[in-house]
Amino acid sequence: MRTPIAYFLVLSGILFSIGTAGVLLRKNALVIFMSVELQLNAVNLTLVAFSRMHGDLGGQVLAFFSMVVAAAEVVVGLAIIVSVYRRHHSVNVDEARELSG
Amino acid sequence: MTPQAVPSSMHLLWLIPALPLAVAIVNLFVGKRLGKLAGVLASVAVACSFALSVMVVRDLLTMPAESRLYIRHLFDWIRVGGFNVGADLRLDQVSAVMIMVVTGVGMLIHIYAIGYMDGDPRYGRFFAYMNLFVFFMLILVLGENLLVLYLGWEGVGLCSYLLIGFWFDKTENAVAAKKAFITTRIGDTLMLVGLALIAQKFGTLDFTVIFGTAAGTLTKDAATVISLLLFAGAVGKSAQLPLHVWLPDAMAGPTPVSALIHAATMVTAGVYLVIRMHPLFEISGVALTVVLIVGLLTAIYAATCALGQDDIKRVLAYSTISQLGFMFMAVGMRAYAAAMFMLVAHAFYKALMFLGAGSVMHGTHDQTDMNRFGGLLKPMPITAITFMIGAAAQAGVPPLAGFFAKDAILEIADHSGRIGIYVLGSAGAFLSAAYIGRMVFLTFFGAPRSQDAAHAHESPAVMWFPLAVLAAGAATIGWLNLTPEGRLSEWLRPAAAVAVSGPGLSTGVLLAIAVAITAAALLLTWWIFGSGRVDRAAFLDRAEPLPRLFKNGWYIDQAYRTVLVRPSEVGAAITAQVVDAKIVDGAFNAIGAGTKRLAQAGRRIQTGYVRSYALAIALGAVALLLYVGVRP
Repeated sequence: MRTPIAYFLVLSGILFSIGTAGVLLRKNALVIFMSVELQLNAVNLTLVAFSRMHGDLGGQVLAFFSMVVAAAEVVVGLAIIVSVYRRHHSVNVDEARELSG
Repeated sequence: MTPQAVPSSMHLLWLIPALPLAVAIVNLFVGKRLGKLAGVLASVAVACSFALSVMVVRDLLTMPAESRLYIRHLFDWIRVGGFNVGADLRLDQVSAVMIMVVTGVGMLIHIYAIGYMDGDPRYGRFFAYMNLFVFFMLILVLGENLLVLYLGWEGVGLCSYLLIGFWFDKTENAVAAKKAFITTRIGDTLMLVGLALIAQKFGTLDFTVIFGTAAGTLTKDAATVISLLLFAGAVGKSAQLPLHVWLPDAMAGPTPVSALIHAATMVTAGVYLVIRMHPLFEISGVALTVVLIVGLLTAIYAATCALGQDDIKRVLAYSTISQLGFMFMAVGMRAYAAAMFMLVAHAFYKALMFLGAGSVMHGTHDQTDMNRFGGLLKPMPITAITFMIGAAAQAGVPPLAGFFAKDAILEIADHSGRIGIYVLGSAGAFLSAAYIGRMVFLTFFGAPRSQDAAHAHESPAVMWFPLAVLAAGAATIGWLNLTPEGRLSEWLRPAAAVAVSGPGLSTGVLLAIAVAITAAALLLTWWIFGSGRVDRAAFLDRAEPLPRLFKNGWYIDQAYRTVLVRPSEVGAAITAQVVDAKIVDGAFNAIGAGTKRLAQAGRRIQTGYVRSYALAIALGAVALLLYVGVRP
């Protein structure tokens, strides 16, 4: 007997919420970054779960794409964080606010 | 177009205006490089036009008297629905006389200008404008429909503007040019309304159709309205009351321009227009009376003004206005042939006097104040003698041209029972002779009254040669109309009906009266200005306020300045400084300031805290999902 789809979705929802809370509440850019990854993976989990449910490989392929893009995003994101750190000697996102109105 | 075989030279009619236009274009573009050649080229072009005109008119004479009409369709100009305007030329008796005057006198003035404008930095451009003027003037008189005429009409106005302001680096010249252009524009606009009315009533602007069907198409009132609108254009162009103010100021231009445009040709365009459109004026009747009264008032008014001027060119300008008034008087009495005769004679003697005045200025370092002339007869004999021939012609000394021309008009006034007009016209003739006498005696007789006059010198041959030719013309042109019936009148009869003559004083008596008037005026002015027996300053003091009134043109200019120009200037200032600066600019500034204030408020949202943006995105996503989920 298969695990019902609802379990996956609930888990995914929990992971996504944790990620969202991390993004909104933490100040450390690295932690925020990790939280974003958590959100992405929550979505990946959903994709895979639905893929299995429908017996369609499309969802799994999309998850792979998502991972690859996420990896690329990590490269860019970390580079930005490093350069922000060089400028502000801190990775606190609240301190990088030169663009305030 | 006419049933008879058309003589071959007639087909060259289009070349008459085309030649000056071609040379004008050449001079406009490469005139600078041509140097002195520009003037020669321009003169040759007008001379060729004159030769062609002679040929064409001679051929016109060989045609039977009643069918002397040649219409040449060049190309379709405007085609809108059923309304067609072609670029058509018309040669009949009236336009034949006009092209002879325009090209003949124009040629002499061009030759004169070669000498007069020598050394001017814009030599080529001057001749380009002059030729352009001749082109437009020929178009004006040769047009077969009112729109072609109007094209020429506006064209000569433009050239007049360009040439009055030819030395535009002096502000007063530019102002005079603007004044001439704007004042005539008032008349031109009314004339355009008249043209529109004609187009509406007749469905065409062709003279042939208008003259053929006018009697059946127009009511008396409609004819009056149209005639008066056309006459308004003539009043502006021919500087009649109340639009005369531009002509005295137009003397700011070079003297050949004054001679060509503001004496011999352009200003007579108004007379030409009324003669050309006389069938409409005749239907109206009232319009003719208006023409007569305006002409009479102008003739006398301008003569008094001429009496008070010190500037020799302004005397001639007012004199031109006055003489044009005489022409309009003739037209108003349906004496079209007499008006044409006067027009031709006037073109000769007035061009002669203007060129003579230019020659005087040339010899006295551009002096124009007659109080600083005197005794110029000795240093510049040719100028003086030719000038005096012109002056005598205008003053009405027999047997010169002006004598016959003016006398013909006064005779018609008497013979048609208009005794009042005759008396007032004679008074005008007396004043004319008086201001002419004053001008001649002040300029050429007595002792020199300035260094410039004492050291005056005769002008070069290229300048006095045209003077001599014009003087010969002014002396002999009266012959044109010398037979009892009048040669010119007879020749014009098919195109312009001759006035009916009735009982009145015999021609001999009238001639005697005219001679007596002229002699009296000349003797009187000689006694005051020439004999040296009268202290002029004391005489002028005793005559106050008349000299001051005359000198300022009865203060009409000042009145216009107070009543029309000043309020316009104040209105313009209000528009510029209040309406534009405060209201229009204010509105735009308010929009800018409002946007700025809105932005000030809006920038508070832009905190710079990345997480607050993220929160906004998250909340937005949740809201969107809720909406999608809850939606039925």
